[in-house]
Amino acid sequence: MTTALVPVVSLVKVRKVYGGAAGPRTALADITFDVARGEFVCVVGPSGAGKTTLLRCLAGLMPPTSGEALFEGTPLRSVPEGIGVVFQDYSRSLFPWLTVARNVDLPLRVRGMGRAGRAARVAEVLASVGLADAGRQYPWQLSGGMQQRVAIARALAYRPDLLLMDEPFASVDAQTRFELEDLILRVRAAFGVTVVFVTHDIDESVYLSDRVVVLSRSPGVVSEIVDITLPRPRDQLATKRDPAFARFREHLLSLVMTR
Amino acid sequence: MTVRRLALRYGLRVGVLAAALGLWQGLSAAGVIRADEFPSMSQTATALWDQARTATLWTAIGQTLEGWAIGLAIGAAAALLVGTVIALNSFAYHSVIGVIEFFKAIPVIAILPIGLVLWGATLTMKFALVAFAVFWPLVIQVCYGVRSVDPVVRDTASVLRLRGPRRFALVIMPSAAAFIATGLRVAVAVALIVDIIAELIGGGSGVGVRILLAENAGPSAYPVMYAYIVVAGLLGVLLAGAFTIAERYVLHWHESQRSAAVERNIYPERTEVTLAVSLSPGRWPGADPGVAVRRVVRRVVGAVGWLEVAVLPAARVDRQGAVDPVGDRPGPRRPVLQS
Amino acid sequence: MTGPARADLSSSLEHLVAGYAIACVAGIGLGMALWALRYAREATSPYVYFLYVLPAPVLVPAAMTLFGIGFSMKVVLIAFAAMWPTLLNTLDGMRGVDAVKLDTSRVLGLPRWRNALQVVLPAAGPQIVAGLRNSLQVAIILMVVSEWEASTDGIGYYIVSAQQSFDYVGMWSGIIVLAIIGVVANLLFVVAENRVLHWHYGARAVEGGTR
Repeated sequence: MTTALVPVVSLVKVRKVYGGAAGPRTALADITFDVARGEFVCVVGPSGAGKTTLLRCLAGLMPPTSGEALFEGTPLRSVPEGIGVVFQDYSRSLFPWLTVARNVDLPLRVRGMGRAGRAARVAEVLASVGLADAGRQYPWQLSGGMQQRVAIARALAYRPDLLLMDEPFASVDAQTRFELEDLILRVRAAFGVTVVFVTHDIDESVYLSDRVVVLSRSPGVVSEIVDITLPRPRDQLATKRDPAFARFREHLLSLVMTR
Repeated sequence: MTVRRLALRYGLRVGVLAAALGLWQGLSAAGVIRADEFPSMSQTATALWDQARTATLWTAIGQTLEGWAIGLAIGAAAALLVGTVIALNSFAYHSVIGVIEFFKAIPVIAILPIGLVLWGATLTMKFALVAFAVFWPLVIQVCYGVRSVDPVVRDTASVLRLRGPRRFALVIMPSAAAFIATGLRVAVAVALIVDIIAELIGGGSGVGVRILLAENAGPSAYPVMYAYIVVAGLLGVLLAGAFTIAERYVLHWHESQRSAAVERNIYPERTEVTLAVSLSPGRWPGADPGVAVRRVVRRVVGAVGWLEVAVLPAARVDRQGAVDPVGDRPGPRRPVLQS
Repeated sequence: MTGPARADLSSSLEHLVAGYAIACVAGIGLGMALWALRYAREATSPYVYFLYVLPAPVLVPAAMTLFGIGFSMKVVLIAFAAMWPTLLNTLDGMRGVDAVKLDTSRVLGLPRWRNALQVVLPAAGPQIVAGLRNSLQVAIILMVVSEWEASTDGIGYYIVSAQQSFDYVGMWSGIIVLAIIGVVANLLFVVAENRVLHWHYGARAVEGGTR
């Protein structure tokens, strides 16, 4: 039984080295930070800083070379129960041979939920992402933004404790991106899930998060962790008008651009 | 690929072969396989060796290859020509495609008796049949390749004001090349199969005929028959292998060859642009003119801070031998044959 | 009216259907097995390829010595020859599945068997179907060739005996029937394919439009 005090994610001196063709490549050199329950943490950094590698370590897809990656107190050996992941490329992540409802339903079937329960849960989670009527369509029949919503719904269907998102809104247009950002904030408030969100978009990271972890470029270390003290609930117009927003933005930009 | 893994893999393969041959010999010796129905492994091997020592085997192979080569050349040339012409004109394509699909569906075996009646058991009959069999699927594949040029590439060509023959040579042909290569790879195998079928059933000369003669000569000649069957298979493997090597060399710049050189365990970062510049001197170990070029490229591009360049020599591509299409690395996306 | 008798036709088609069905099941099954078992795959891949390019009709004499000239010889031969395109395409297709799908499958918690059957196999679907199509063509060729040599009925037998007795009209009608069989089989295949792979063609159509 995990208590509120145990951090959902705990990384201690995590290192990841790839044995590459041109010699070993250190993607992550020394990553140490925690994520508390219910927090929204963004990870930003320049290209090549190893953000995706970090996310894969957090998901249990890839073991670190050294150091410890803990999920709710236990070391990650493989993908644990209680994690949801949203990938950047929704068209490749969603299964095109299944309808939207079937896609969302799949993790529930894996977990042995009964038919009635599954139907109810699928309807609920699709409604929460604004796709109540899209169940019978195929993912490729929907627009990019809607497909990513399906991916989010699928990740949340089984009520994970931790939601990992790998630049999820990078492949959609700007308008849709704002809608999806608000969506993810609403959904997180509704389901109470902890979120680790990787992005290269500084504005997005300031808008969404409680804390921002800044990675330096290869070899990746944590250059700084910035507390975002902007009030919640966030709003696209009001929050971005706040002078504090611009200050945070400038600070982060300077960190990312010099490193 | 470490030396140890390579040794293990080839050791396993040799082991499997030895076990299979041993099993064959064992079953024959134990009488499970009757000697008058099926020769033992040692008999077949001896027969193969005997044939190889005389000119018979090599003449037969030469005769088979004649029909194969001529038929393949005619069929492929015709398919490339006709296919490109049709594909470039939308109206022509849509009118003709139905007819082509129809002819492609006709089993080539149905045409064999016609060939026999027209030309008898001759070389002409063989290569005509081979050309016919090769033409229809290949022309469809060529059409598909030419019509599948990435719209972005096509638009870029328009913006760069490339027209006519230039556009064709510089833009369309290279894009279609991978599809055409897939089609040719299958054509190489199909041509051999049809060639040997024609010999086996129609007669004339070549490996197929040797099999037929041995079969008709009765059980005492069965070792020779099976020896030639093995030869037929080996011929197919060698030809397909030679083609794969040629393809790798000619298409070294294409992404289906290039991506085979990118390390498996690096998850492609989508925010970074990873350029794998694969130069192909790996064919002849020791000669590596690519090194100097790569150094220059790396310096120039490295200066542009946001581009991450992974420059990998093609010699890193796992050389399992061209014979092995289902090798260790999962496939880079090769165009699937359009059937 | 000269032409192959109904009995010839039904006999040939029986062999074809039986042999092809076995080839499909065996091809997909063995393809999956080789996908799953790494060492078996590495050890046997050159031999699998050898059997794939071996012109199957050369095995007719061998099959005759081993199985006689009855139903089982033809079905075994058709099945054995037609198995390889499906097998190789299944294997290749499954190995070439998009890494993002495999990662997704892992994070959704799919156990190995669900991953294999519900993610990798459907994802490889288009390529498997291409293999099945090639297998059908091979099966038809073997159906005819197996009747050529020593048989008492069937389309192949009919054509060859017509040719040998200089009954060219009969030979032609046999050839035409054979051509029709090929075309009809292909048509049926396309219809089935469009139903099973509707998602693939739908997705491709969308992709082609927006790219």
